[in-house]
Amino acid sequence: MSTAVNPSELVREVEARGQGAFVESFDPADELMVINMGPVHPSTHGVLRLLLELDGERVTKCLPIIGYLHTGMEKECEDQNWRGAVTIVTRMDYLAPLFNEQAYSLAVEQLLGIEVPPRGKYIRTMLAELNRLSSHLVWFGTQGLDMGAMSAMFYGFREREMILDFYEMVTGLRMNHGYIIPGGVWEDLPSGWERPVRAIVESMPGRIDEYEQLLSSNPIFLERTSGVGVMSRSDALALGASGPIARASGCDWDLRRDMPYEAYGEVSFDVPTDTKGDVYARYRVRVAEMRESVKIIEQLLGKMPKGDFKNMDPKLTPPPRDELNRSMEAVIHHFKLVTQGYTVPTGEAYVAVESPRGELGAYVVSDGGTSPYRCHVRDPSFVNLQTLAPMVIGGLIADLVACIASVDPIMGGVDR
Amino acid sequence: MAGSSVQAGRWIERARALKSEGWWPADLCGLDKLRIGRADERFGIVVQLLHHERKQRQTIHVTAEGDPPTIPSVSEVWPTANFMEREAYDMFGIVFEGHPNLTRILMPDEWEGHPLRKDYGVGKVAVEFVEQPLLQIEAPGQAPDAIESGVRVDRLGQVVEEGDAP
Repeated sequence: MSTAVNPSELVREVEARGQGAFVESFDPADELMVINMGPVHPSTHGVLRLLLELDGERVTKCLPIIGYLHTGMEKECEDQNWRGAVTIVTRMDYLAPLFNEQAYSLAVEQLLGIEVPPRGKYIRTMLAELNRLSSHLVWFGTQGLDMGAMSAMFYGFREREMILDFYEMVTGLRMNHGYIIPGGVWEDLPSGWERPVRAIVESMPGRIDEYEQLLSSNPIFLERTSGVGVMSRSDALALGASGPIARASGCDWDLRRDMPYEAYGEVSFDVPTDTKGDVYARYRVRVAEMRESVKIIEQLLGKMPKGDFKNMDPKLTPPPRDELNRSMEAVIHHFKLVTQGYTVPTGEAYVAVESPRGELGAYVVSDGGTSPYRCHVRDPSFVNLQTLAPMVIGGLIADLVACIASVDPIMGGVDR
Repeated sequence: MAGSSVQAGRWIERARALKSEGWWPADLCGLDKLRIGRADERFGIVVQLLHHERKQRQTIHVTAEGDPPTIPSVSEVWPTANFMEREAYDMFGIVFEGHPNLTRILMPDEWEGHPLRKDYGVGKVAVEFVEQPLLQIEAPGQAPDAIESGVRVDRLGQVVEEGDAP
């Protein structure tokens, strides 16, 4: 599984690098073994590194060490104009890029005090729900793979491909779209967009049944997941868990239903919850969420409004290309927006959306200029990672892999 | 969104009171008000609270005091603040008194400086276009000398003469 290192050496090395009080409690004299898992490890979903102390097969301490993917995106945002920062935030949680864009855009819109036209709202909501599906499909694949069910990966990625193809059709890219911008969306849906969405909506329920046949009552999967990594409701809330982890522990909270934004107030859906709080409960919640997402997409497909897809204020949106030949004003607006960007009134805003992993919040501060003064993203993976240690301590090291997969951390979002 | 401001000295009591009312910290991040605030209130944290039953949010600004800027840690009140305070320490150098493990979380442990501070230089040289680095950054975290001495470098790494259009 991982390379065992001479404990005293590792402790010395870590102490020299200042991992602090936690590491001092590792005692090389007793029978415990300290091992290092990651950052390059197939089951740590990216570059998560865990420092573990083991008593035989049991985990007695677990210290997540992060930052291997830190690229200073929040600092980079301060160097972009308001529109350009979208292309930075979208790269944070790379499995849920549209949610990053959505949270950031909603926060900037709140500062600007503008409304998004209904069509823009519906497009955003629909794409966000498709993104929830594609993100949960990666989770499904990796959860299965980590439990030894390799075919789950093939099934999950087969359907994910359909959704990514639709993204490519709409945004031009399979990930890191930069499609949702303050004021609406960058481009209207292309003609013929209904067909692929309808194909996804029609095929997904059957495909989700297939996934459930693969894993839900699979004795090996049940053995590996039920009763493993149990987290009580109070622990989950105290540690800041949100999203499926909190809902699987009995916390009935979903921003889409409880504090509706975009078009979520106009669709009906259920919020699946569970009370057991183990890995299997998180599996049930996520699979049920996929079904709810399909329901939401189906409703949005039926009532997609006509009209503008972005706020047409000329101070925010470049004019259509053909107007540049006719109107001097359009040329001036175009020039100002392209060379400088728009300014945003002084103030601060925090807006959170329900991403596949929980509350994804964007906190933006404006000093009245053309770029964000501060752009902070509250990434759910970063906060949810704190629940990992209490989940795994006292459990077997083999169960640790199940727990990591069920937390579903995306290191791009954790490290930003 | 209701907002309020708290001094560092009163933060712990305030946090305990908020917790007993049922407020949950959704987010805690550092903020450097170098260009937008008073000089003696440069550093602080911004806490976003959420009330699950009332379905409300509120924002609290806590101003750090002293040098290095110091704020008492609320990681005992809200365990979830642990990682968030470490991030604010790492990025802004705000010291959280009473934090169980106040170490760098995103940057390497031996890193010098705190990157999200407004006076932390970013270099402004697009690395891929420069064969020989024009700006030698002595130690990470220090603003390059060239920037201090007024030499400006554009995005392609060319030195911009004084008087040229920006």
